[in-house]
Amino acid sequence: MKYDMKSYYMEYYFESNPDAIHGEWNFDLHDLQLCFGVKEFLVIAPQSASGVLLDAPEASKLLSAVAIALSNCSSLWPAFVPVHDPTRKAYIGIQSMGTVFTRRFEADRIGSQVPVKLMHLEGLYELFVSKFAYSTLDLSVHNFKVQFTMKLTYKTLPWDDDYMKGFNGEKSGEKSIGIHWDDDCSWSEWYSAEDPVKAFELVAILSEKMVESSMEMAELENASPHEAEKWLISPRISPNLLECSKGNWIGFASQLRLLVDALEMSFQAQFLEDFVSVENAGADNLKSMIVPPPSVRDRVLKELFIDGVEFSNFTDDGHKTGRAIKGAPREFLFAQFCLHALWFGNCNIRAISVLWLEFVREVRWCWEESQLLPRMPTKGPIDLYTCLINQKLHMDESVVGDDSSNKQTLSDEIPGIVDRKPGIVDLFNDKSSDVTRRGSAGIVDSMMLLKSHQSMHAPFTQEPPLMTEDMHEERLQAVEAFGDSFSFSGQLERDILTSDMSAFKAANPDAVFEDFIRWHSPGDWEEDEPADCGSSSTGLEKDRWPPRGRLSKRMSEQGNLWRKIWDHTLALPVSEQKPLLDPNREGEKVLHYLETLRPHQLLEQMVCTAFRAAADILTPTSYGELKQMETEIKQLYVTIATALRPLQVNRFSADSDTIEDLKRVTVAFERVEKLMTLGVSLQRKFRRAPRLARDIFSGYYDFSISKMGSLAEQIVEKGFDMKLELRNQERELLSNMFVPPTASQSWRKVLSMGNLLNGHEPIVREIVFSMRDQATGNHYAAHSGCFSHKKEIETYRMYICGTSNDLRVALSVASCD
Amino acid sequence: MDSSSSQEFDYLFKLLMIGDSGVGKSSLLLCFTSDTFDDLAPTIGVDFKVKYVMMDGKKLKLAIWDTAGQERFRTLTSSYYRGAQGIIMVYDVTRRETFTNLSEVWAKEIELYSTNQDCIKMLVGNKVDKESDRVVTKKEGIDFAREYGCLFIECSAKTRVNVQQCFEELVLKILDTPSLLAEGSKGVKKNIFKDKPAQSDAATSGCC
Repeated sequence: MKYDMKSYYMEYYFESNPDAIHGEWNFDLHDLQLCFGVKEFLVIAPQSASGVLLDAPEASKLLSAVAIALSNCSSLWPAFVPVHDPTRKAYIGIQSMGTVFTRRFEADRIGSQVPVKLMHLEGLYELFVSKFAYSTLDLSVHNFKVQFTMKLTYKTLPWDDDYMKGFNGEKSGEKSIGIHWDDDCSWSEWYSAEDPVKAFELVAILSEKMVESSMEMAELENASPHEAEKWLISPRISPNLLECSKGNWIGFASQLRLLVDALEMSFQAQFLEDFVSVENAGADNLKSMIVPPPSVRDRVLKELFIDGVEFSNFTDDGHKTGRAIKGAPREFLFAQFCLHALWFGNCNIRAISVLWLEFVREVRWCWEESQLLPRMPTKGPIDLYTCLINQKLHMDESVVGDDSSNKQTLSDEIPGIVDRKPGIVDLFNDKSSDVTRRGSAGIVDSMMLLKSHQSMHAPFTQEPPLMTEDMHEERLQAVEAFGDSFSFSGQLERDILTSDMSAFKAANPDAVFEDFIRWHSPGDWEEDEPADCGSSSTGLEKDRWPPRGRLSKRMSEQGNLWRKIWDHTLALPVSEQKPLLDPNREGEKVLHYLETLRPHQLLEQMVCTAFRAAADILTPTSYGELKQMETEIKQLYVTIATALRPLQVNRFSADSDTIEDLKRVTVAFERVEKLMTLGVSLQRKFRRAPRLARDIFSGYYDFSISKMGSLAEQIVEKGFDMKLELRNQERELLSNMFVPPTASQSWRKVLSMGNLLNGHEPIVREIVFSMRDQATGNHYAAHSGCFSHKKEIETYRMYICGTSNDLRVALSVASCD
Repeated sequence: MDSSSSQEFDYLFKLLMIGDSGVGKSSLLLCFTSDTFDDLAPTIGVDFKVKYVMMDGKKLKLAIWDTAGQERFRTLTSSYYRGAQGIIMVYDVTRRETFTNLSEVWAKEIELYSTNQDCIKMLVGNKVDKESDRVVTKKEGIDFAREYGCLFIECSAKTRVNVQQCFEELVLKILDTPSLLAEGSKGVKKNIFKDKPAQSDAATSGCC
């Protein structure tokens, strides 16, 4: 709108929720609505970039123009014009109320040096009453029956360490300086998160009262907020919790993002050494990367390889879905390496390269000294669902473990067959061929050899060789190369079978092929009579010698491969056999792999492992019962697994889409991580009122969801604001959070406004005085019950909002002129 | 029949056959791949066959891993569960223990080693030609299949009854499952088998 070289803008506000039943203290109210007790209204203000508003004469001129315009179109809306500079929040306004009444509005603010009188309720009451002096209505001078309602807002002190100490004082004296709020959280080993809950605000609302004298007001000032009709809590959540901006917030997500950047960089060089040596670093950006000093590096390595870290036999307790992420379980050496790398320097590619090269050097040292690697299981099959580096390390570990311990292992792969270990008695009783029997693991009780009257001995057998994923793949390719040939069988399996036969022969020198089949593949031995008269007891079996039966048809055919192998096998106990896989060779192969690993191969696996480990660290955190959190975490695992899939193919190239996807995952990760800290923080603060923790979390969760949805189009930054009404039994908990101020803080009392809560004065005190003109008996006084007229019966209304150093007063007066 | 890798295909699916020793896994596979029946020597460890089929207008390469049932080989075979889109559980309708072992042993192995939750399982009762020796009824098979959520069929490698249908049904179900389909095409990109650019193109366009 333009007029006389100045442009003005108009704003309209509509009652957002006409059915609102909250009365005076509806929190959705616009500032002006609150000040003047109006509903719809109109603001006219100059549209100037400098923000200079109207001076008083200009304002009143503009206002009267607007008033005329409004009355011409018989609008009953109030109109406001701002006066003076914006910080004063001064307005004047006018509203034609139809027939005879006109309401005038005026608001101003005192920014400093508030007169002591106006700091107190008594003075404010007198201020309100003094306005009647200008009234043209003939009111009796005494007995001002004034409606009064008050809203007090308190704020807890920031949750700094000092404060927490006081708060937790009841619980323990062991709290010492430097302790963070999240010290016992699962992530605190790696970082300390900022407490997302900065403070709580308590809003206490005193119900409407009739006040008749300033004495009464003075008494009200001593009223405790405990008597308030309503208590509402409003958490102050750190704004960092919402922003996705970099640098502001440190957590796993921020480090993971750096790691993804490093992955992107990793394609630039062939070897990890290229990133380390400064001369080669042609790119300036590489030089600018900071590598932590050697002392830090050594400390990290020492921590990784520290002796005595006993590898507790953990089950993969992480989310089942965690296995879908091809990393390493977080307790494993490589996962620990990744976690350390995240916090090593700023996780740039140079720092990672330096750390990795040292790491590999350390692994080689362990290998050459036949030392077991820490944080790795020595037993058990290789988990092919983990990343290749982890598999390789596992392999290395097992090879070292095999070397240092005895190669023989009990054939516990065949449970139940070895019934008892060879006692001395047994060995003596079995007289005939004890001299040559070697490598027996025990007698198979219920079985006798076919051709000699002896018990069958189960041999020690070689453990199936450990194979890493690339070895499996190699085998697969070999099979493919072999073609679809009819009688193909894996060479490795054949070796195992040969080894088993050798061992069996050594343990049972008098055994024949059929005996081996009976032990090894019982299905291929067909007994003659189907075990007559319950003869399954061992004694009977032993007596019924020789056992009758025959090989299955398929085993007994001409040219059977099994028999061929049997015929060519020498009797050798496991200890004398050639190992299925040469440990020295395999160990060297592992180290060769680690030493020649391409940068991007390393980074790919690090990214996968780090994501998984970080997620696994976060999930066991206790955050109370928060359903949203549970689904979020589940969803996070799925998202991570999906985004990481391209990395697990091992032939991934610097694909910008994938990198983008990964960055998006870090954002999702950050979200969950932040929500997690909030959940934890709330849970800790409301241990005795989990409902509050849950409700506040839900409120914030919904808010953050809506925030995500409207991120692009919504320019207006709206902070999180939530008010939650407290139940009676929850009041005490909150009131306990208001620890009486310490001596150093109590200087504030000097300025005290009254209405203390445990010695804290309110940060804001809002008061509404209103005078309802019922004495005149005009038609407005007859309460129509229609909500749109409800406010109009107020002849005088004053809104006062005071803090310890400023005061805003807004007055609306209805008059008949 | 030389390395068939020269042929092109849209999807590669990995199938795994498990079950007790002697239930006829290898015979089933042989019957499916070369349409013959033979009393085969017991598998040592693992056997592997490739078959190309056309289904739903798509060219499929099936890599079928046939494992040995002997306990001794079980620790080794565990690695073959990885990445399988279909698992065929075979039992012998004339030997009850091969049926009960499915729930006591093999279903647990699947639970343990297969992380692919969508992986299609198929229960196969073999040797129905020996109807007179039958001890496991069809009803029991159906009940088992319902309990474990798998497909079910009875067949005979000897008379070739239902053998083709068995594999066909399994593959059709895999084709019906988007996540498995995606894996199948990814398998091409993954390049376990020598692939050609043309194939991966075909695969990606196929999956979208």
